[in-house]
Amino acid sequence: MFDVIVRNGLVVDGSGEKAFKGDVAVKDGLIAAVGEVSGPARREIDAGGRVIAPGFIDPHTHFDVQLLWDGAARPALEHGVTCIVPGNCSLSLAPLKAADRPKVVGMFQQIEEMPPEAFTQAFDWSWEDFAGYRDAIARNLSINVAPLVGHSVIRLWVMGEAAQQRTATPAEIAAMQDLLRECLAAGAVGLSTSFVDLDEHGRPVPSRFADFAELDALSAVLGEFGRMLQCVPEFYDVDITIARIDQLSELSLKHAIPTTFSPVFDNTSTPDNAPRILARVEEQFARGARVWPQMQTRPIDISFSLLRPSLFFARLPRWVRVLRQPLEARLHSLNDPDTVAKMVEDLGPDGGRKMMGGLIVRGGDAAPAEMVGRTLGEIAAERGQVPAQALIDISLAHGLDVAFLAADMGHEDTDRIGPMLAHPLVHIGASDGGAHIASFSTYGDTGYLFSEFVRKSGRLSLEHAVRKITAETADIWGLKGRGRLTPGHAADIVVFDPATIDRAEERPVFDMPGEGMRYVRDARGVDAVLVNGEVAYLGGAYTDAKSGVVCV
Amino acid sequence: MDLTPQRRFVTPLAGERVEDLAARALPDEPLGSAVDQIRSWNLHIFAMRKPAGLILGSDVVFVEPPRR
Repeated sequence: MFDVIVRNGLVVDGSGEKAFKGDVAVKDGLIAAVGEVSGPARREIDAGGRVIAPGFIDPHTHFDVQLLWDGAARPALEHGVTCIVPGNCSLSLAPLKAADRPKVVGMFQQIEEMPPEAFTQAFDWSWEDFAGYRDAIARNLSINVAPLVGHSVIRLWVMGEAAQQRTATPAEIAAMQDLLRECLAAGAVGLSTSFVDLDEHGRPVPSRFADFAELDALSAVLGEFGRMLQCVPEFYDVDITIARIDQLSELSLKHAIPTTFSPVFDNTSTPDNAPRILARVEEQFARGARVWPQMQTRPIDISFSLLRPSLFFARLPRWVRVLRQPLEARLHSLNDPDTVAKMVEDLGPDGGRKMMGGLIVRGGDAAPAEMVGRTLGEIAAERGQVPAQALIDISLAHGLDVAFLAADMGHEDTDRIGPMLAHPLVHIGASDGGAHIASFSTYGDTGYLFSEFVRKSGRLSLEHAVRKITAETADIWGLKGRGRLTPGHAADIVVFDPATIDRAEERPVFDMPGEGMRYVRDARGVDAVLVNGEVAYLGGAYTDAKSGVVCV
Repeated sequence: MDLTPQRRFVTPLAGERVEDLAARALPDEPLGSAVDQIRSWNLHIFAMRKPAGLILGSDVVFVEPPRR
């Protein structure tokens, strides 16, 4: 007697081999049989006209805190994602001494745009070490989690304030090695580091103060376990990114570890950059290095209102300072003519025409109906204002609750992106799931892969696309027994309609702690998701299954 | 396999100032000129960063101009 049989589907098993009609049987959380399966099961799922595939794996997320109150990492799971990697970009919630929590919360707030309430209102913060964090999330998981440990928090644990002041001494590096070893033994899938991020005070995060000797020493520990080194390089500069590729390659070769960096964006204004990066990756792989570039599927866009700080203003420090204030103080600043004049001046002589003129007024908030769908440039011209002034005035007139969309900010040319996603050395990822929650939706990149690059443009076959986000990801990260519909593998399964799978329109929801807002995209065309053999999502609804594990 | 030549760089030593780094990276140049060149080739450190010129242990410091 099987536990579950998913019947009569088109089996796309993750290997990249041609799909075939068949069934997938599950017993004791594992794939028990694939093909024409006879015999009874306690539960059957009809997959007629649907694809049966391994659950998708998302290798770049920041669900670290959300997992403490939402073990499904919603809405990631309903998109067919059955395994996520949190802890990217040098930041994780362990190991972390209680006294250092405010620092790391500030970094998450600054870098990943998470509201502080997410860290204070929804869970009991009882752990300090990595095993404690692992146990805290493991109690409630509906999705599998392969967590990275952050370089910045390891540094903070060992060096305290000095972590953001200087390089480490040999003794401190040795202590960091011991701590990393402890984290890996407790279930960390690897180490993440950052070469670009700033904390909430504008200071470089601790990992950026590490010299190469420190990273080399920590990579030696990764080598003991064969685990991953992830980094976020200076993605805005192709020469520096290539230098980072070379550094990662040296570490990969020396310590026999996989490495990955993200993001790699394509931008038609700098069309040579992504190809140059991929060419260097090819050269390094030919030497034997494993240096996987992560590329997201979705185009870049940002939505924002003046109700909260946004990534959109990252290059405008005065705007960030004003928008970071509590609401009353923010309104005071935005009503102060001197402050506003300086804010407008910050945009330069064109008053924001270039940066803000193309912004589109979104619906769904307090936006005046006559403005919805129009560009700020048009509206500002009608008002006889420059766009920056119009943005502030329109926002003030409607309680700041007017959302603007900066669309097409890059990475949107399907004919360029498609071949890159299909490249054998490009690792599809970099979703940033669970981060930047008030700027854009980080969910549904897998649906977009199928709708845009399989169905619409045909740049990838169905089998190829499935392989890229299942077996290939599992192999890159060393997630044994996952990513394939093979007997003995974990029964992480997604059933979807190849004709309709997609991401829905982006919409704001208020489901964060403290009724905080985030943008989400619902799933389209996903019928069922099984995690370790349990049905976690079916027919548009989440179940009570808590079958996710920390899976390294 | 030979790697295609790319823009050459060094990484800072512990506590190294720009003068030390410039002297190490460009030993045949007069110090003032070496410092000026290092600054001009590394705007990500010496112009875009706040405070400008703060050298971090993890920095990539180019020791030649862009190749294209």
